[in-house]
Amino acid sequence: MHKRHVTNKHRFIGFVLIGLLVYILSNTVDEWKSFQGATIAVYVVAIASIILLTGYSGQISLGHGALLAIGAYTAALTQIYLHLPVWICFVAAVLITSLFGAILGLAAARLTGPYLAGTTLALAVGLPSIANQFSFLGGEQGISFDAGWPPLSFGEAFTQYKWFFWITSLTALIMMWWIQNLLRSRYGRTWRAVKTNEVAAELSGIRLARSKVLAFTVSAGIAGMAGALLATTINNVSPSAFPLALSFSLATGAILSGVNTLGGVMIGAVALVAIPEIASLVADRWSGSESVPSLLPDFIVSVLLILTVFLAPKGPIEKFRSRHVK
Amino acid sequence: MFELINTLLIGITAGSIYSLMAISVVLVWRSTRVVNFAAGGLALASSFVGAAILEKTGSFWIALPIAMVAGAVFSAFIEYFFLRPLLKRSGDKGAEIFLPIIATLGLLGIIKTILNYIYGDRVGSLPPPMSDKGFVFSGESIALSPMRLLILGIVLLLMISLTLVFQRTNLGLSLRAASFAPEISRLAGIRVDFIRTVGWAISGGVGATAGILQTTNGSGSVSPESFEFSLLLVFGFVAAVIGGIESLIGAVLGGLTLGIILAIILMYVGGSLVFIAAFLILILVLLLRPHGIIGAKGGRRA
Amino acid sequence: MIRTTRRKLLVASAVMAATALSLSVMPAQAISLRAAEVGVTSTEIKLGITLPMKGSASFGYNQLPGAMKAYFDYVNANGGVNGRKISLVVKDDGYLPKQAILNTQDLIAKNKVMAVIGALGTANNKAVASAVNLGRRGIPSLFINTGFSGFNDRKAFPTSSTLLPSYIMEAKMISKYVKETYPGKKTCLLYQDDDFGDDALVGFDKTHGDLDFAVKVAYPSLSQGVAGVPDSWITKFKAGGCEVQIVFGVASATLYTVLAAAKVQYAPKWILGSVGADIPSINPATVPYIIGSTSVSFMPSVVDPKDEYIAQFKEINTKYNVGAKFNSWALIGMNTAFIAVQALKAAGKNPTRKSLLDAIDASGSKFPNAALVPLNYSKTSNVGLNGYWFGTFNKTGDLVPNDTFTYTVYTTDSGTGPVEKSSYSRPAMPAKGLPN
Repeated sequence: MHKRHVTNKHRFIGFVLIGLLVYILSNTVDEWKSFQGATIAVYVVAIASIILLTGYSGQISLGHGALLAIGAYTAALTQIYLHLPVWICFVAAVLITSLFGAILGLAAARLTGPYLAGTTLALAVGLPSIANQFSFLGGEQGISFDAGWPPLSFGEAFTQYKWFFWITSLTALIMMWWIQNLLRSRYGRTWRAVKTNEVAAELSGIRLARSKVLAFTVSAGIAGMAGALLATTINNVSPSAFPLALSFSLATGAILSGVNTLGGVMIGAVALVAIPEIASLVADRWSGSESVPSLLPDFIVSVLLILTVFLAPKGPIEKFRSRHVK
Repeated sequence: MFELINTLLIGITAGSIYSLMAISVVLVWRSTRVVNFAAGGLALASSFVGAAILEKTGSFWIALPIAMVAGAVFSAFIEYFFLRPLLKRSGDKGAEIFLPIIATLGLLGIIKTILNYIYGDRVGSLPPPMSDKGFVFSGESIALSPMRLLILGIVLLLMISLTLVFQRTNLGLSLRAASFAPEISRLAGIRVDFIRTVGWAISGGVGATAGILQTTNGSGSVSPESFEFSLLLVFGFVAAVIGGIESLIGAVLGGLTLGIILAIILMYVGGSLVFIAAFLILILVLLLRPHGIIGAKGGRRA
Repeated sequence: MIRTTRRKLLVASAVMAATALSLSVMPAQAISLRAAEVGVTSTEIKLGITLPMKGSASFGYNQLPGAMKAYFDYVNANGGVNGRKISLVVKDDGYLPKQAILNTQDLIAKNKVMAVIGALGTANNKAVASAVNLGRRGIPSLFINTGFSGFNDRKAFPTSSTLLPSYIMEAKMISKYVKETYPGKKTCLLYQDDDFGDDALVGFDKTHGDLDFAVKVAYPSLSQGVAGVPDSWITKFKAGGCEVQIVFGVASATLYTVLAAAKVQYAPKWILGSVGADIPSINPATVPYIIGSTSVSFMPSVVDPKDEYIAQFKEINTKYNVGAKFNSWALIGMNTAFIAVQALKAAGKNPTRKSLLDAIDASGSKFPNAALVPLNYSKTSNVGLNGYWFGTFNKTGDLVPNDTFTYTVYTTDSGTGPVEKSSYSRPAMPAKGLPN
C-alpha cells in the first residue's frame, strides 16, 4: 500500500461530499424513501455510540435503547415544558443523557462481562416502563415531539419526511465528524489501550475507572442524540419506541458494521433499514402464506447475525481489509 | 395479613421458576463462558414440545420428561453446531463475550421465527396437571394450591439433584474443572468438549422445565410471542447475575429475591414499576457486591 | 497507512450509502400520471388498517381484518364500488403506539392507501393522530375501533372518526346497571392504565355514573405490562371483599384475570367491559369461568336466529372467510367494511379523501348497519355509536340478551346527560347486504 498523508482537510472534504450526496438523494427520492433515509441517519448515530463504547472502550451495553429513551424524552419534555427551539432540545438531550451515562458509567466501571450485560439489559427493560407511572411522561401513547414543518419558502412539494431527512442527516454528519476526531485524540487512544490490555494500560499510567466512565458518558451523549433524532422521525416519544428489541437491533447493527471500526457504521444502519424492505419484496412475490412477510425480516437479520459472527467477527470491513493486507 | 401471605406465596412461586431459568443460564456460563440468550427460546420450543405430547398422551407426567429431553437435545445441538466452532475461532479467550452474546441473540431470533412460522396464532395448551385451586384456611383460599406445591417440589428436586451431581460425582467434578481450567483439564484427560456439551444439555433440560412450569403457573397456554416468556428470559438472566452467575445457590437466591420483591412491588406500589425495580435491585446488589451475592471474590481479569 | 485505509473506509461508506439508496429508488415507479386521488385508480380503491395481529394483545382483534376482507371480496365480486375493487392492506402493530405510527406512515407513504379504516386502540390512535399529522395532511382515519371520548374533538382530529360508543358512555351505563341490579354490593374495578382506563374513570365518577369502588386496580398496558402475573390483582380484590367485579380491559387482560380468579375461587358477579368481553372466541377452555357473567354490546347477538344482518354476514363469512368462525369480532369487522363501502359510494363517482370525509359528515348518520344504536356522524360529531344493551354469556359462550332475543338498548352521551332507553329503530338491510 502506498503511503499518503490524510489530513483533517481531506476528511472534511469527504464529509462534505457525503452531505452533498444526501442532498442530491433527498431531491430525487420519494416521501417514503426520505423517511427511510432519515431512519438510516438515526441508526448511524446510535450504532456509532455502541461502537465507541464496545469497540473502542471494551464495555458491553445491551441497553442502549434506554439511553435513546432518555434522550428522546429529554428532547420532548424540553420542548413541551420550556418551549425551547428544536436544536436546544437536541443539545439538552445530549447533556442530560451524558449525565445519566456518567452515573451509569460509575457503576459500570466496577462491573465486567456478564454483570455489565445484565445491568444494561435490566435497564433497557425497566426504564421505558417508568413512563406509565408518571403522568407527565404521557403514559403509553407517549408525548409528542415536533421538529417542525419545513419552512414555507421551500415550497409546497417539500415533504415533512424530506425535512426530517435533512435534519437527521446533517446532525448525523456533525456527530460522526466529532466522533472520528475524538477517537483519534488522546481519549480515543486511551480507550483502545484499556480495551487491549487493562493491566498494561494501568501500568502505563492510565486511570482505568476514569477512562471507562468517560467512555460511557460520551457514548450515552451520542445515544441521547440518536434518541432525539428518533423522536424527530416518528414525531412522538412513547415507551413502545424503546423495547428490548431496539437495544438488540442496535447491537445487531453494531456487529454487522464491525464493532471495532467506526467506518462501517453505514453498513449496519443500511442493513437494519433495508432488510425488512427486501424481505417484504421477497415475501410479496411468495405470497403463499400470510405470516411470511412479517417473519422474514427477523429471520434474515438473525441469520445474518450468525453469519457475521462466524465469517467476519471483526466486521465486514476488517475482513475486507485483512484479506488485502495479506 | 392474608394479603401479605398471598403476596409472599405468589413471589416465592414466581421466584422459584425464575431460579430454574437462572440455573439454566448459570450452567451454560459455567461450562462455556457464554451468556446464553437463546435459553429463553429453547424453553419456549421445549414447552411447545411438551404441549404437543400432552395433547397426544393426555399426561403431564409423560410430557414433562420428554420436553426436558427435547430441551437438552436442542441445547446440546446449539452448543455442538454453533457455539463450539465459534469459540474455537475466537480462541477460547473469555474476554470477548460480546460475540457469543450476539450469536445467541441471533439464535433466539431464529428459534422464535421458526416457532412463529409453525404455530402462527395457534397456542399450545399446558393446563395444570393438578388442582390449581388454592387451599382454604379459615374460610379464605390462599395463593397456594396443589399445583403450586408441585412447582416448588419440582424446583427443589432439580436443585438438590444438580447440587449432588456437581459435588458428589465425577461428572460434576469434570464439569467444574472444564470450566475453570480447560487446558489443565484436557491434560488431565477430561474430554472438555464433551463435558461442555453435557453442561449445555443439562441447562436445556432445566430451561425446558422452567418454561413448562411458567406456562402452567400462568395462562396455561404458550404462544410464540408469549409475554410470559419474555418475563422468564429477562428475570431469569437478572436473577443469575444477582446470584453471581457462577453459583447454583446464588441463582436460586437471586430468583427468590427477585420473585418476592417484585411481587411486593406489584401488590403495594404499582405494576409499571416492576421492571425498573428489577434493575434497581440488580444494581444495588452489584454495587455492594460487584460479583453478585455468591460470586467469585476479586475481579477475574481476562 | 492506517489513515489511508480510514479515508478509504469513509469513501466506501459513502459509496455504499449512495448505491443502497439509489438502488432502492429504482423500483419506485416514476411518478405516474396521478389519478384523481392517492389510493384510487380507475380499477381499485386501496384502504389500510393497523392493529395487533400477533402476540397476546391480539386475541380476538386479529380476526377483524379477515372479516373486513371477506366483505370487500363479496362487494368486489358483485361489481365493486362504482366499478372499483376495494383492497385492504393489513399491518401488525402488536398494540404498540410506536409501531402503529410507523405502520400508518408505511400505509400512507409506501402503500399509498386512500384512507385508514378500523385501526384499533386508544393510545395507538392518539399517538398516530398527532405524530403522523393525519389532520393537517387531510388523510382520513375512519371508524377507529376505540371509544376514547377525546377523539370527539373535531378541531384536534378533523379527519378521524371513531366507531365504538365512548368509554364514558359505557361506564355510565354500567354504573346505572350495577346500582339497580346489585344495590349496596361492594363493587371493584380493574382498568387499563392509560387513556382507555382514564376515560372509564370519568364515566364512573361523581358527576357521571357516580359509582363507588371498594378497590380499584390499574394494570399497565401491554407493551410494558405484566399480563402474566395478575394474581396480585385478584389478591387485592379478594382482600377488599368485592362482590361485583368490573373488568374494563382488553381481551388478554380479561382472560388472565378470569383465569387467575378461578385459581383462588374468587367468584364475584363479573361484569366485563365491551372491549375485552369476547373471551369465548379466544380459548374455549376458559368458557366455564365466565358463563353467566354480564357484558354489553351494541351489535345483535351473533346467535340471534332472526336478525337479517346476522344471517347475511354469516353467509358471506362462510363463503369468503373460509374456515373462520363467525363470532362478534367477525361481525364487527364485517359491519365496519359494510359502513366503509357505503361511505365510498356516497363519496361520488370519483371519490377523493375530502369527498369521503364530507360524505360521512353529510350522510353517515343514515348509513344502515347491523348496530342496534345509531351512528352519530355529522359536521360537528365524529363519534359513531352511542349505546349498549346488557346481556349474559350463555353455555356456548355467546353473549345473549335473553332467551327470546329481545334487546333493551340504552343510550346516553359522553357528558352528564342521563342514561335512557333508546328509541332507535334500525333501517332495513339493503338487498343481499349490498348498499345501493
